[in-house]
Amino acid sequence: MRFWVLMKRDVLVSWRKKSNIYQPLVFQLLIVTMFPLGLGAGAQTLQKIAPAVVWILALISTLITLEDIFKDDYEDGSLGLYALSGMPLSLAVLAKAAAHWLTTGVPVILFAPVIAVLLHLPSQSYLILMLSLLIATPIFSLLGTVGSALVMTLKNGGMLLSVLIMPLLAPVLIFGAGAVLETTLGNSATAHLTLLSGCLALSVTLAPLAAAAAIKVNLE
Amino acid sequence: MKPTILQVSEVQCQKGGYALFAPVNLTLQPGQLAVIAGNNGSGKTTLMEAIATLGSFSSGKLSFQPDNSTDAWLAESHYLGHALGNKSSLTCLENIHFATQINGEKCNEASMIDALESVGLGGYEYHYASDLSAGQKKRLALSRLLLLNKTYWLLDEPFVNLDATGCDWLFAVICQHISNGGAAILTAHDNKRIHQKADVIISLERP
Repeated sequence: MRFWVLMKRDVLVSWRKKSNIYQPLVFQLLIVTMFPLGLGAGAQTLQKIAPAVVWILALISTLITLEDIFKDDYEDGSLGLYALSGMPLSLAVLAKAAAHWLTTGVPVILFAPVIAVLLHLPSQSYLILMLSLLIATPIFSLLGTVGSALVMTLKNGGMLLSVLIMPLLAPVLIFGAGAVLETTLGNSATAHLTLLSGCLALSVTLAPLAAAAAIKVNLE
Repeated sequence: MKPTILQVSEVQCQKGGYALFAPVNLTLQPGQLAVIAGNNGSGKTTLMEAIATLGSFSSGKLSFQPDNSTDAWLAESHYLGHALGNKSSLTCLENIHFATQINGEKCNEASMIDALESVGLGGYEYHYASDLSAGQKKRLALSRLLLLNKTYWLLDEPFVNLDATGCDWLFAVICQHISNGGAAILTAHDNKRIHQKADVIISLERP
């Protein structure tokens, strides 16, 4: 019940701010248009790097939104409202992650085909691209809550957050971009997607606990 | 259910490795008002946060009788700090609706509008919290107290930013809460009325 209440509020706050939602997408679009210009190459070169570029863009554009997950609530005091409401803090973290995923992850998934077209990704890879992002974007949000909880009291925590979270996201990138790469070569992506799902299971279970612990440490 | 009694024994808080104040003792039960007094930087907010279980203390003991359960304490107390807890991109009504729901309180819209009216925010229901003045933001946060039905009110400088009528109103509300069997701990460095009304005054002094 309280899970829904908190999630609904966060989605509403993001919706009102709008920039939270389209900032990652504009960022992706700007960068991806630079690639053909910088490489000066034809469709074939772009095709080769497409799986990696689409994935890295999805990752980085999400990364820039992570810091605010808890920072805003810490600064305006509404963190205290749910931290002292008696609801388990890890459940609150899960609600925050779900709201972040809905407002950042889902748009990134839906926007991925646009980026893929601009990079001439072969058409047989689109489904797997979106599927891999569907599994991976919740991982970004979940690990993001841990990073955000760790740096919420810092003035400029964004850089530190990236440094903390990037290594954890490296396997996700390897499996995700790998899955798309396999399909461009005509192979099955099942192995990669299974490993990706494993990462998701791990972060759903552990990230809320870690983030809740980080919040407690920061409040002391 | 027996009412929870707050017991603070020999509590001391630290900032940056230094003790902020000499050990503090306090026993508070429903029907009592405690005021924490002290100069700027004496640790009023830090102590308040520790009592609200939002912060921590370096030594001493905080217990909630009879069964010393933090959950019971959380269910019976509400903390209102310097950071008011209003989301600026939500309307007044949405803000208090969230606050009541997250505390498991069921409120209909009429009672929330009533609460806003009694804090002097009638007609502001659909204004964004970001459009309010500092005093109005404080009033919006105070309206939560009217709806949440908690025994213990933990108020950090509740009179700051309020105008004269606002101060009178809040004083009356606190007095009524106490006479209805509620309890409150508040910090106020310059408010004679509330100091006279207090059952317990804690003066924070340098250790």
